[in-house]
Amino acid sequence: MTSVACHCCPTEGMIESSTALLYNTFVENTDWPDVMASVRGDDEAYGRLVRRYEKPITGLLWRFTRDPVQCEELVQQVFVEAYFSLKTYRGDAPLLHWLRKIATRTGYRFWREKAKEPREISLPEFDVLEQIEAAQDETIDPAEAATVLQSLLGRLPPDDRLVLTLMYFEECGTQEVAERMGWTRAKVKTQALRARRKMKEIAEREHLLERLGWTF
Amino acid sequence: MDVLEGLNKLARRAREESTPVFGVADAVRLRILSEKPQAITLIPLGLFGGLSALAASVILALAVQFWNYMTSPVMELVVPLREIRLW
Repeated sequence: MTSVACHCCPTEGMIESSTALLYNTFVENTDWPDVMASVRGDDEAYGRLVRRYEKPITGLLWRFTRDPVQCEELVQQVFVEAYFSLKTYRGDAPLLHWLRKIATRTGYRFWREKAKEPREISLPEFDVLEQIEAAQDETIDPAEAATVLQSLLGRLPPDDRLVLTLMYFEECGTQEVAERMGWTRAKVKTQALRARRKMKEIAEREHLLERLGWTF
Repeated sequence: MDVLEGLNKLARRAREESTPVFGVADAVRLRILSEKPQAITLIPLGLFGGLSALAASVILALAVQFWNYMTSPVMELVVPLREIRLW
């Protein structure tokens, strides 16, 4: 088998030419040597990738659950799934994009499974909105803001919730949401429109702005 | 302020939240090791195959010997009885 040097890391050795052909040379992919080493079974290389991207992936999955135990479990699931699918990563986009796609789908699956489970405790009992002290403009704590927003989003069905979660927290456009989920852009647009309408109703019903002291 | 505008503002603040970091690298490695399909080593498989072949050849050799000693059961009907000298 012939080998060629990887363009972004000439000192890192050689990679197989068949794989190199798949690699899009227009994208600067500094993870490529570690990806190739991981595919060949180098655990240390995959450990480096995990440590490099653990923070952004945790940040994303934190939007799917605020329970640290569940969140950690989801993060582990993402990296294990990514490891076994690493051969399918073609390197034509940064690895983080590919990992985010896996993480989004993992989180979505988690919501769908949770939605099937019977709820033993009624939601209003743990409604964080009940605990909000009227905040003055920007003084609301980011963690509290995230808790409130996630609590509101949690009342939506998984599809609506996902679209708005990615839009609010990840600042994704409809195109990116569609790419991450493998949905059509038209579906995402319709979903977003419907979800926003529902969110507005929920926020009005809960008197969100009054509780936050944002009625000016 | 519009409700949707308020939600956008809430989202802007929420994005500033610092999220936890768990340090999952070791746990991921362990899970990968436990879920990775174990490679089947060829030595025990070859040994088992060799022993099976040996046993089969012994049985074959015995079978051939028994086959040679075997006569047709119908032969007794056509071949006249041989007198057996009892004394």
